[in-house]
Amino acid sequence: MNGLQTALLLVGSPRGPGSASAILGTYLVEKLKEKGIRTVSRHLCRELNRQTLLEEVEEADLLIISSPLYVDCLPAQVIKVLEWIGTARRGAGIKKYLAVILNCGLPEAYRNEIALAICRRFAIDAQLEWCGGLCLGMGPAVDGKSLQEAGSMVRHLRKALEISAKRLAEGNTVPREAVELFEEPFLPPRMYIFFDNLGWKQLARKNGVRDRIDARPYEAE
Amino acid sequence: MRAVVFNGALEDDDSLAKVYHFLLRDLTELNFETTGFVLRNMGIAICRGCFGCWIKTPGVCVQDDAGRDTARAFARSDLIVYLTPIVFGGYSSQLKKAVDRIIPNVLPFLKKTEGEVYHLPRYKKKKSLIGLGLLPRSYDGSEAIFRTLIKQNSFNAHCHYYDALVFTEEENIDNILGEFRETLKQGGICR
Repeated sequence: MNGLQTALLLVGSPRGPGSASAILGTYLVEKLKEKGIRTVSRHLCRELNRQTLLEEVEEADLLIISSPLYVDCLPAQVIKVLEWIGTARRGAGIKKYLAVILNCGLPEAYRNEIALAICRRFAIDAQLEWCGGLCLGMGPAVDGKSLQEAGSMVRHLRKALEISAKRLAEGNTVPREAVELFEEPFLPPRMYIFFDNLGWKQLARKNGVRDRIDARPYEAE
Repeated sequence: MRAVVFNGALEDDDSLAKVYHFLLRDLTELNFETTGFVLRNMGIAICRGCFGCWIKTPGVCVQDDAGRDTARAFARSDLIVYLTPIVFGGYSSQLKKAVDRIIPNVLPFLKKTEGEVYHLPRYKKKKSLIGLGLLPRSYDGSEAIFRTLIKQNSFNAHCHYYDALVFTEEENIDNILGEFRETLKQGGICR
């Protein structure tokens, strides 16, 4: 990946700048920027012009997709954009690169593997050189605050993204060391499950629906 | 018994039209109360990831559009069929927009079962999930991703039976439908 000049971050979460996907992707591109790489960020679930986006893809050397997991794989809007890019780059000769960051609300990072495999397959079909991916479980733990503000709990994520940015800027792939750091759980899974379940009950109570959180509106029909 | 077929054909692509037509016919002949959705013709907004279907309007998406219809059909059906071009090993964006909107049909609560963590089901009805995937070219390895995706989706939807059938445009439609009937028999879904 000699002469990396521009990186394009594609954020796949509809939840905007406060989402884990945006926070993680933004941190990575900030580290790339520190190494002199020009970066552009696009939120795929906002109003998006297909032609403009494809032009930005063509201008970029490195594409970075940062996405949540929806129902075991990429959200529909991310797939739609990959379809656009795949069609536009069919038979393309100019070398470009792809790295991905995936996160899910389940405690196990490996649950992102199907989405990762889809991204790898997309790279082949869209004539992109695969540079690796980082997968995170317990994604909601990262929501809301930038990685700089989130403190020591996410130190391992900062380090993994810094290592990845350094290697990507040098023309290499995301190293195994970064992958393993990134997938380290914040909490023991059982504790995460306990607090996650408690959190939903509290939110439901706050919205006045705690007593019908397990409603079955389509059952009686 | 109810069956629903989600047709995830992309715009300007009619390669699934014949299979879709005969699937609906065959399911009706097998005495299923059958519903079909051609998803590209439906106004289904993308999932906002707001969790309103868990903590504001439990079981129902806050977005009042056709995504509620597909979620309702999913909840009420005994047999779910995903018919889709295989896109990078997964579902088309059209199918996925409907699949993302079935999240109201699980509870927010997680539970570890047999070594993996899942969302608890909202409904008790047991379902079967059959994925029918059309490869864009010949068998190229992406079908393995599709099979894994169907399997994982079936676990998350608490299905008691699943299968993934993969075919190319060259394959004879009678063979495709024959395999479909065979998997229904194997799953005990029909005789």
